[in-house]
Amino acid sequence: MSLLEVDDIHSYYGESHILQGISLEVEPGECVALIGRNGVGKTTTLRSILQLTPPREGTVRYRGEDVTGRPTHEVARMGVGWVPEERRMFSHLTVDENIRIATPPGNSVEAAFERAYSAFPELESHRGREAGDLSGGQQQMVAIARGLVGDNDLLLVDEPSEGLAPQIVAAVAEALKTVAEESTVLLVEQNFPLAMDVADRFYLLDHGTVVESGSTENVTRDDEMIRRYLSA
Amino acid sequence: MTGFELTATALPLFAPVEITLDALSKAALYIVIASGLSLIFGLMGVLNFAHGSLTMLGAYLGGAVMVALVSSATGQGMRLLLFFVAVAVVFAALTAFGAGVERVLIRPIYDREPLFQILLTFGLVLVLDEAATIVVQLAGLQPQTEWQDAIGTAPEFLAARYDIIGASTRGLYLFEALVGLLVVTAIFLFLTRTRYGLYIRAGSEDPEMTQALGIDIRQAFTVVFGVGSGLAGLAGVMLMWDPRFGASVPLGVETLLVGFIVVIIGGLGSFKGTVVAGVLVGFVDAVMSWLFINYIDFPGLPELVMFLVLVTVLVARPQGLFGVSEVGGH
Repeated sequence: MSLLEVDDIHSYYGESHILQGISLEVEPGECVALIGRNGVGKTTTLRSILQLTPPREGTVRYRGEDVTGRPTHEVARMGVGWVPEERRMFSHLTVDENIRIATPPGNSVEAAFERAYSAFPELESHRGREAGDLSGGQQQMVAIARGLVGDNDLLLVDEPSEGLAPQIVAAVAEALKTVAEESTVLLVEQNFPLAMDVADRFYLLDHGTVVESGSTENVTRDDEMIRRYLSA
Repeated sequence: MTGFELTATALPLFAPVEITLDALSKAALYIVIASGLSLIFGLMGVLNFAHGSLTMLGAYLGGAVMVALVSSATGQGMRLLLFFVAVAVVFAALTAFGAGVERVLIRPIYDREPLFQILLTFGLVLVLDEAATIVVQLAGLQPQTEWQDAIGTAPEFLAARYDIIGASTRGLYLFEALVGLLVVTAIFLFLTRTRYGLYIRAGSEDPEMTQALGIDIRQAFTVVFGVGSGLAGLAGVMLMWDPRFGASVPLGVETLLVGFIVVIIGGLGSFKGTVVAGVLVGFVDAVMSWLFINYIDFPGLPELVMFLVLVTVLVARPQGLFGVSEVGGH
């Protein structure tokens, strides 16, 4: 059984028909990349899985259970984590508090700190600072750490390299690889080489539908098609 | 009344200690009045017009507890103890009432425009004020004037005046400042030291991200609307003993106005801003009241100046002293 099955979902922002029948599957342990130009529906797909933008048609199944239309916090508690675009720090909370709030009730907060700061030692010296005062790369680390401490089996990671300096992107890529070894990841990434490096499989989106999918190893052979859908 | 008029008396030019003591008691009252409004708006983006009416209900309910339990034979210390019993009763009752209002009335209209919330909570003002008027009249009281029996349950040592560094002040004002400090400390600890406080601060900044971390934000809305209503009631209990206010039906509108002024000056949704603005407005009010009593024969002066401060802040910094440009959401 797939961990996540998205079956022919249609999602809208107001009257705009964004997702026009997306179907995809993610198996346990995989890292799957969603690629495609800006505005083809990658972020909306992640939002629809979390029911932040509930699909009007189609179903989202997690561990075989239909979660379509369920409240977002229930989907999150089932083990779906979100590392959103632009990081979405609680900028007035400290780094520690950002980690603390992502720790499920009943779990040890100390253990969560240990997990977060061993994954990202650089954050350790900034624990008491407001997250809004950190650099972009550090904020991305906090965002990923929030996903890590949440007991998540599936992490939805959206544009982790966006707006970061090249040398920081390399560090984030390393962090993503570590995360991908431990949990299942559905990754949206504009940085094509990075996406192909980290992911096992990919889905290529265009105009709210999946136009191609396959193993990232075969991608070079399909260069022609990839270039057609990725270049503006 | 002859309008503006300087009186030629041999008064001190300024009385800093007296004004400071008056300011601290007023600041404490204003902060407690405004804190519930501030918490509710910060997390939920709901401007609760019924907040003042809840303060009015709290004043009557607290007064009723005191009048029922206090007799002329009740000792002074016992009266003080019963005050805290009244606080507990009113806080519990209004927290439950507020939570119920959120679940039944406000929850169905979160997805509508803010105008619906304003109309709904304004409608609640009319219902609560009218209901209170009927009940108070049935109890043989005059709804428009302060409930003197409730004021009379205050222990004598609070009604008495004391000399502090050459200034004279009522014991009650010191007591109010102390209760205000306790309430602010309690809210601060709730927000910074409890898991729920963390949810509230996070939810005020980004409700969507908060939900995506597995937090039931709707449940947090119910809790905050309840606690905010409980705080409105607590403010009422503080005002029930104060001869400057007292339990009456118009107390609702009176406190709502002050609450809005403080919350807007401080920045909608910022508790720190509410505290700072409460102190600021308390001092402005105290200075103006002192000027009014001693020099300028114009009773509207304190309120006029409060509104001038409000206008100045809105022109210079529309989001308020500590506000962020956008808060709240569902």
